[in-house]
Amino acid sequence: MWLNRNITKTKTDAKSLSMLFAEFFKVRKGGLQDWVKRRFVEKFYGSRPHPFVLALQHPNRGTLLGYVVEHQHFLRQWVRSCSFIMARTDATDVILYELDNINTEFGGSGPKQPSHYELLLRMGESLGLDRTKILATPALTDTVEAIQVWDNICQQDHWVEAMVAMHGLELIANRNLRKEGARMHYFDPTILETREVTDATRAFLREGYEADVGHSEEALDLAAKYADRFSIVEHVQATFMRSIDAFDRYLMARLERGRQFESA
Amino acid sequence: MRVPEKGCVLCEATWGDYWEEVEGQRMFFCCDICAVEFKNMIREIKSRTGWKSIDEVKIEGDYRGRDCIALKGDKRYGFFVRFDSKGQVQDFNNRPITEARVGPQKSKAV
Ligand SMILES: [Zn+2]
Repeated sequence: MWLNRNITKTKTDAKSLSMLFAEFFKVRKGGLQDWVKRRFVEKFYGSRPHPFVLALQHPNRGTLLGYVVEHQHFLRQWVRSCSFIMARTDATDVILYELDNINTEFGGSGPKQPSHYELLLRMGESLGLDRTKILATPALTDTVEAIQVWDNICQQDHWVEAMVAMHGLELIANRNLRKEGARMHYFDPTILETREVTDATRAFLREGYEADVGHSEEALDLAAKYADRFSIVEHVQATFMRSIDAFDRYLMARLERGRQFESA
Repeated sequence: MRVPEKGCVLCEATWGDYWEEVEGQRMFFCCDICAVEFKNMIREIKSRTGWKSIDEVKIEGDYRGRDCIALKGDKRYGFFVRFDSKGQVQDFNNRPITEARVGPQKSKAV
């Protein structure tokens, strides 16, 4: 299955296969960061963009509510993941990075700068879904399974693997991906300028759009540095592939949840 | 049932060597998950159409979901199917193929 999805669906001999593998995992001049971006773009923004990304270009209420309901679970895992990384490293730059990240995503900085998590809940409320109802809704199976994958990575694998597995996912909202060959943005940026979506939705999307750029790249720089130092680049690559497979399914879960709201 | 000349009945991959009898016919699959998915799909088609047998299923798409047309004589049954991680049917809806919802190639976005 892994071969089919990532290398080729056509049976090849051992020699060609090892060449295809070498090509797939080859880290070029831009380093591990570049490799991660290339694989990410290919999977989510390539010739077959992820259906959730397509739906988010001009999202309807269902899509956004699917986002809210499933993503609250993702964000709660996110904090756990970052905490595992912090707990398992003694690199000060990494600890500072993760601290800052946890704050932005979950803690917030006073009433003027609510956390990403808070903005997400407000988006849900602005679409008519009560906060208590959001919080009381359990995740769909695909979300649960994806969270399990990330939790295992963060608990059992090297913290550098965990860093790339988690922060690599923030590329989803990275505006610079267009330069890396992405066919579209996470959403059509014009929706930030019009009244197509609610104010709270714009606030949530804008935060990600503006914040995650330097953010995810800084994490990848740190991870690349330590992956080299510990000579675990290949492990990191393999773990990243596992993480984005889980992410793919998780994004489908957002859509599936969204359909429940559309048909309700 | 007509199946592709080459490759896995569900995904057309030529890797693997997993054979299973489906509808009284020995079929090639790339892995056990594809076999489970295909059998679940066949079961779903039969229960929804009431057909006793199926001539062919044309399948397009990938692990994110597949748009399919089942054929029986001159009858056609179009549907979309998606499986969970264990190969169980997670989403199955019959609707006109032209309105296929999750067709990444049929992107309506810019
Ligand atoms: Zn297959």
